[in-house]
Amino acid sequence: MAIWIQISPGSNEPIYTQLTRQISEAIAKGRLSVGDKLPPVRKLAAELVINPNTVAHAYTVLEHAGLVNTKTGSGTFISNPKLRTTHAADINLLTQRMDTFITRALNLGIDAPDLIAMFKHRLEGFVNKSENEKKI
Amino acid sequence: MSETVLETKGLTKYYGSTLAVDHLDLNIPRGSICGFVGRNAAGKTTAIKLMLGLLKPTTGSSTLLGCDSQQLRPAIRRRIGYVTEGHRLFRWMTITALEKFQRSFFPKQWDDRLFADMIEYFQLSKRQKIKHLSNGQRAQVSLALALAPNPELLIMDDPTLGLDAAIRRQFLQGMIELIMRQGRTILFSSHILGDVERVADRIVVIDKGVLRANCSLEQFRAAVKKVILTFKDFVPDEVNIAGLLHCRRTEKQLELILVGTSDDRIAACADTAGAEEYNIVKMNLEDQFIEYTAPKNHRRLFKWEEK
Repeated sequence: MAIWIQISPGSNEPIYTQLTRQISEAIAKGRLSVGDKLPPVRKLAAELVINPNTVAHAYTVLEHAGLVNTKTGSGTFISNPKLRTTHAADINLLTQRMDTFITRALNLGIDAPDLIAMFKHRLEGFVNKSENEKKI
Repeated sequence: MSETVLETKGLTKYYGSTLAVDHLDLNIPRGSICGFVGRNAAGKTTAIKLMLGLLKPTTGSSTLLGCDSQQLRPAIRRRIGYVTEGHRLFRWMTITALEKFQRSFFPKQWDDRLFADMIEYFQLSKRQKIKHLSNGQRAQVSLALALAPNPELLIMDDPTLGLDAAIRRQFLQGMIELIMRQGRTILFSSHILGDVERVADRIVVIDKGVLRANCSLEQFRAAVKKVILTFKDFVPDEVNIAGLLHCRRTEKQLELILVGTSDDRIAACADTAGAEEYNIVKMNLEDQFIEYTAPKNHRRLFKWEEK
């Protein structure tokens, strides 16, 4: 497991969401897989030169989202997707976001087949990578 | 972890008839890195000097580690580190002499190894005289002097002023390393909001001597919002919404700066005002700070007229 986290202060995005977004994406893309251990809070904080409380907060957010679980004394691990609970509210939010995205695309003049092709292409970036990495 | 290590009550300082610090009520909990921000002449340095007992307040009081700032005993002072603005060190001393001098104030707690390691890391020689060092090197010596006694409370007045990106980063690393030792607290003033965002978990904003914010950085990030209301034809002069700090009008839009207003409220306000659409604009910390401390009714600096 190796992921590269890039922190940009001065961005519109708060630092803890920069962390949660990049770690979530690494999980979705399979760069981090079930059982992988995240670096200890203090180590990551020292490496990225950010406040340890910010890292701890990001880990808590990931834990609430069910992406990781913390075993006291041994660390924070990527959890099993099969055991992750999907809440109706999350699905709701997701469909809302898709609607916004579709509206935007259609207004830009992208037609339905192109939109589907685009979506498939982006999705491959996630799914294939995760399968390839598992083979290695 | 909610023990207060630094507290001021109605702390006020006049220089003649000029009010520099105005009834400052501040408390910093143990274990935080607190970014102390404000524009030039906002009263940051004066506030820091008052906290350290280097200046006498006109009225009000402050306590550090539970002790009145005006009566800090040596035993308390030993637990506090202070880095002055501009890293003023005795120019005629060598690094060795300066270390010896500084160490005498912190007997038993001076980390010789840490100091030596840092000086070596910075590629300095202990025999060098301070007056022969560059600004950046002086800042590095000052950082080593501040960290070697392993202070429980470290107060730094604009420590990264005028330093290059690499040396600034060393300061930030130093802060992170110190804070990871149990129970350490740091207060530092800075104009570089990116640095504050990186290492601080708490922000104190002071403006014209008045405390404007003292909260977690995350709360501040979430609270200060910019909203653009776009209207079809009639643009009202103002809107009525809780948390409104500024309202600027352009041809077809109203630009609102809001503090602590929920997104639902913004939607309701846009609806009531008859706006065609509204956008909540994401701001970075620097923009938030500038908007938050902008004077009422401020205008843009430039106004280009098309001929």
